[in-house]
Amino acid sequence: MRDWSQAELAGRLDVSRQAVNAIETGKHDPSLPLAFRIARLFEMPIEEIFDDEA
Amino acid sequence: MTKPDSDDFAMEPSDGAVLLKRAGLGIGGGIALIFIAGMIAGYTSGALERGGPDLVDGAILAGMVLLAALVAFGIWRFWPQTVEEPVAPRVRSARRLFAVAIAIGLPLGFLLGVTDEGTGVLLSNAPVSAGIAATAIVLWLIAGPLITWLWWQKIDEHEAGAYREGALVAAHAYIFVTPIWWMASRAGWLPPQEPMLVLLAVTVLWSVVWFVRRYF
Repeated sequence: MRDWSQAELAGRLDVSRQAVNAIETGKHDPSLPLAFRIARLFEMPIEEIFDDEA
Repeated sequence: MTKPDSDDFAMEPSDGAVLLKRAGLGIGGGIALIFIAGMIAGYTSGALERGGPDLVDGAILAGMVLLAALVAFGIWRFWPQTVEEPVAPRVRSARRLFAVAIAIGLPLGFLLGVTDEGTGVLLSNAPVSAGIAATAIVLWLIAGPLITWLWWQKIDEHEAGAYREGALVAAHAYIFVTPIWWMASRAGWLPPQEPMLVLLAVTVLWSVVWFVRRYF
């Protein structure tokens, strides 16, 4: 979607790179505020970024 | 969501593996170097007492120096390298506070160790001077909670989750270990309970859970 590394995305979200990695690998479910921040950053609806599949 | 980072590839070690390898190399290699330096100092001193190092002594000492060089090279060669990457302001602040906690904790631990009347026991119950006790208590009472609270404000939700999970496991370990030891001690199966030993075990467990959740 964007040509950002995990570290770059982490910097834009003001979280650690480990947090971005954990979200991407499904080890951490982001809070609603963080999920909204991610959606705003990517200019996409939340449900297009996250799905409820386990 | 993002383009691949180094740790996205299955063959690349995780952050936790890199940190553990660095700790192992740093501590293990450091101890080995200190040990070899001690051997060199001891052997040199012995050789001087025997009237000065001869050729055989020189060869042995050269071998020891070579061994130290090999250990140092091994540490450098196998030290995991990572790419310099941008760090979020929140993470930088949290790291700074962690460094402050270490900067306060290490001298305090050293001070307690050197003033410990040579009991040689970890977390000794031997008497300490009023000055040392007051310093330690003030640091634990004011600096400890203050730094912990500031750090808690700075960490991100992923780390906060790891910290909370560690706390939950540690709290459960505490409420199970303490009565078991209390009962076993009353039955004469274990020595009297050492609260500081329980605290150490619980803290180590807390740290291990936090580390695994955060870095693996």
